[in-house]
Amino acid sequence: MATITLAQGLNEALRYCMQRDDRVVVLGEDVGKAGGVFRITDKLQQEFGEQRVIDTPLAESGIMGAGIGLAIYGFKPVCEMQFDGFTYPAFEQITSHLAKYRSRTMGKLPLSVVVRIPYGGGIGAVEHHSESLEAYFTHTPGLKVVTPSTPSDAFALLVEAIEDPDPVIFLEPKRRYWIREDVELPVANGDRRKARIVREGTDVTILTYGPSVRTVEDAAEEAAKDGVACEVIDLRWLNPLDIDTIMTSVRKTGRAVVVSEAPVTGSFSGELAARIAEDDFLSLNAPVIRVGGYDIPYPPAKVEDLYLPDLDRVLDAVDAVLNY
Amino acid sequence: MRGYVDPDDVSTETVQILKPDGTLVPDHGFDIDLKEEDLREIYRVMILTRRVDQESTNLQRQGELGVYTPALGQEGAQIGAAYALEPQDWVFPSYRELGFAMLRGVQPSHILHLFRGTWHGGLFDYREHRIAPYAVPIATQTLHAVGFATGAKIDGANTVVITCFGDGATSEGDFHEACNFAGVWKSPVVFFCQNNQYAISVPLSKQTAAPTIAVKALGYGFPGVRVDGNDVLASYVVTREAVRRARRGGGATLIEAVTYRRGPHSTADDPTRYRSNEELKQWEALDPIARFEKYLEAEGVLTPEFKEQADAEGKEAAAKLRREIVGAGPLDPNLLFEHVYAERSPILEAQFEDFKRDQEDR
Amino acid sequence: MSARDFKLPDLGEGLTEAEIVQWLVKEGDTIELNQPIVEVETEKALVEIPSPFAGTVEKIFGDVGERVAVGSTIITVETSDDAPKTGRKEVLVGYGPEEGASKRRKNRKIGRREDEAPDQPEQPARALATPPVRKLARDLGVDIDSVNGSGKEGRVTREDVLAAADSGPKDQPAPEEAAEVISLPAQPQIRAVPDQEEERIPVRAIRRSIAEKMVKSAFTIPHVAEWLQVDATELMRLRADLQASPEAKELKISPLPVIVKALLAALRKHPLVNSSWDDETNEIVVRHAYHIGIATDTERGLLVPVVKNADHLNIFELSREISRLALSARDGKIGPSDLTGSTVTITNVGSFGMESGTPIINYPEAAILAPGVIAKRPWVVDGQIAVRDVMTLALSFDHRVLDGAEAGRFLRYLGDLIEKPARLFGVL
Repeated sequence: MATITLAQGLNEALRYCMQRDDRVVVLGEDVGKAGGVFRITDKLQQEFGEQRVIDTPLAESGIMGAGIGLAIYGFKPVCEMQFDGFTYPAFEQITSHLAKYRSRTMGKLPLSVVVRIPYGGGIGAVEHHSESLEAYFTHTPGLKVVTPSTPSDAFALLVEAIEDPDPVIFLEPKRRYWIREDVELPVANGDRRKARIVREGTDVTILTYGPSVRTVEDAAEEAAKDGVACEVIDLRWLNPLDIDTIMTSVRKTGRAVVVSEAPVTGSFSGELAARIAEDDFLSLNAPVIRVGGYDIPYPPAKVEDLYLPDLDRVLDAVDAVLNY
Repeated sequence: MRGYVDPDDVSTETVQILKPDGTLVPDHGFDIDLKEEDLREIYRVMILTRRVDQESTNLQRQGELGVYTPALGQEGAQIGAAYALEPQDWVFPSYRELGFAMLRGVQPSHILHLFRGTWHGGLFDYREHRIAPYAVPIATQTLHAVGFATGAKIDGANTVVITCFGDGATSEGDFHEACNFAGVWKSPVVFFCQNNQYAISVPLSKQTAAPTIAVKALGYGFPGVRVDGNDVLASYVVTREAVRRARRGGGATLIEAVTYRRGPHSTADDPTRYRSNEELKQWEALDPIARFEKYLEAEGVLTPEFKEQADAEGKEAAAKLRREIVGAGPLDPNLLFEHVYAERSPILEAQFEDFKRDQEDR
Repeated sequence: MSARDFKLPDLGEGLTEAEIVQWLVKEGDTIELNQPIVEVETEKALVEIPSPFAGTVEKIFGDVGERVAVGSTIITVETSDDAPKTGRKEVLVGYGPEEGASKRRKNRKIGRREDEAPDQPEQPARALATPPVRKLARDLGVDIDSVNGSGKEGRVTREDVLAAADSGPKDQPAPEEAAEVISLPAQPQIRAVPDQEEERIPVRAIRRSIAEKMVKSAFTIPHVAEWLQVDATELMRLRADLQASPEAKELKISPLPVIVKALLAALRKHPLVNSSWDDETNEIVVRHAYHIGIATDTERGLLVPVVKNADHLNIFELSREISRLALSARDGKIGPSDLTGSTVTITNVGSFGMESGTPIINYPEAAILAPGVIAKRPWVVDGQIAVRDVMTLALSFDHRVLDGAEAGRFLRYLGDLIEKPARLFGVL
């Protein structure tokens, strides 16, 4: 039993996978000698060597394209994009090739690639370091998308992603890199394809993921003081989505709120709201309400707390569905 | 001035062994290690490629293909280079490399099915032929090639990768990134640029200010070489050297094969809008097959029987292509839902059910 | 041997037509496969088209300079090849998907499926209901999970909720009955509670929906009332004669059926009075059927049973029907079909002794007629004061549909028919 941070959970998962499968290689900027700007790949190069933990030139499209080439050859590359906002140059390789190669080649050349991206805000950073990208990737057929919210999930989900035969976009909530949890390593491989019920409740279902899970947990705790029992669900895999757990909960409570940091228009939350209503309109007592960022570029650090959905904005949404 | 590197100082020499008149350049100094059967094989594939290429254009004009990207005039560059590869070496093409595909025995219709709209990757077996699927987004394949080559290197495999692209591709960021990675990693890769003078309508002079494309290699720390792309022998020799270099751990080479795209960029393009008939005629006189034929006939390597046989083979291949393409139906639409993932997610599965139900009503 | 048509293909990613520049062959020529047959000019390029067939040119289509559409035949070649089998009409490569009006493939109606048998599955633990119905249940204080759903797949409908509103869950009628009859809950009794300054009567179900309808009518329709006093003496004589006739049998003939007959004649002459203002389409819908609503006071509240196609009934039939409806309404056994569909309404304020009133129109009709009590009053007859049976007729009307003059003409005409009911023979 050890107390580890989410960052350490990721580090341990990489180590665990690289020990068991010599096809797993890590590439990215500063991942080798420096161990990654967030230390996620700390000490891996020492253990596995420069051929398996590669410090690449500064070129995101290059990292992604070379990763694809390695995967065509037969390796399992774990490519790192240093920050969410720097993923954009790699977009062409991700959408034109990573997502489509299996389909284009009728399964003859599948790509078992993981793209690790620290995402989300709340760290007082300068521009381009606080983006939410999940909508782009969940919207691209051929990609899978997953995001952990706890250290144990960080370990288990990264292992799951690396072992997946398909390309996986692994979104790491950088704001939560340093949260701690007591964990037995290696984390047992439970069924992480299912969403995690963080807290059971009967009055309203709150769906969330990644960095927002903590916020929602706090909001649920507050609501409980007023006698409102929120059921909190951490989605984990956004694609493939565990729609069963979501709908079981919504049928129970009759009310749903979706919380994420992403700008609300065109967000993945919108997709969830539509899907829930389509799936079982009659179970709903109120429309599905989305809590998200405003439709503005992510703001400067000094005022980012006004942008990020906080406890009160979540509770406002809970009130709204309860009093509809 | 001191300390400056000047573009006017670089060599712009173009390697040539076989002149347009079909005679060898005297004292060319290269070791042409091709036996007579090699030369005949190269000739056979050049004829085959030209016939299949021509038939493909015809098929498009007859409504059998949505579009086609002719390789007319580039047979020398492609087949010469392809001949320098070992069977285990891989090719990462763009979308015009019919010559490479023919040399490696790919069934022509399998490539054309891409243009027919049957399946995006065409229908050939990439692993069997060691040719990656055609890449449409420009220069993106160069990075895949570098990754693949690096993988082979990590594995200690004896595999070299050649990646093909045009003069236009050298402007793309991915080309630069690929060369840079290859330089730093010393990847066993050959960057084979067919400088066919145009990127659709944009001439080379608008594509780069560099004196040659080959010289760009210097920026990445490996050598470049400029070769007469219509000289199949030179193309072969130069590529052979680059492949050997890569195989012994010497890293990458950038080859600029100077040639000419005698056809349009694609069947949707009209070259008369941006180039003259005179220019076309000038390059027709430099035809790679004509000069090679003259040379082989003079050397007694190409007999009338073999020539007739190669011709007949080409015609038969074209006819077979026509039989396989004309009236060919689409694949089972249900395949659209296969191979998106290793396994369909529940949501995708539900959509697939909807799709199948929808098909029943059609 | 077959004559094969070659249609002009899309020569460059979405082109729709080409202009014939030069024919390179003529009819009767023997041609080879791939032989260039024509030069055409598209938006993008000048293109030479090679023949897909070898054989003899039977016919060429299109003159030099003519624009030819993609997909149209440009040449027919007599060839020894057999035509290939055509299967499903897939997207023709080089021709794009078929243009033209998109056609519906499936033959189905949008909305309610009539063909589905309304089965009654066991009621689920949690009620199925649309959000508006859930809200209604919440507003009426009904526990929706305990309501039996009579709708599709056991869904709880609006009517189910209304029916459940006052009675407890145990009093629910069987679903089949619920479709026929609205079980009317009794008027809430005012409980005598000592030591209280005020009494709160919960408003539920029927009373509530009546109230809502009143509000809607009053606040949507601009009401204007006009009234007319008439000499109803002749009417009363006619009534007595009708009562005495053998056809009356056991019926009690009141003046009302005669008034209805007069009303029908007046509606024929003034059709706008038998209409409805449609807010959504901004139209006045003139009804050519005559379904007369008869406002009826019951223990449960004000109900308006409807005499359907009143113009098809004679006075005795009218009388019988009005009685039947009034009886079922008062017994609480009246069904929804008898309570809906009226095109104009009569509210007989005279039946409880009132001279007149300003009635509220039965939304969404255009008018409501209130005949008052028929009582002996002084009247001027031939310049002398006489005692006559006098009645006031009040008409509230929708001022959007009718103006004062038109309403007045209608009312005057109706009044004339009532004063001289013999005139009804001329107009019926």
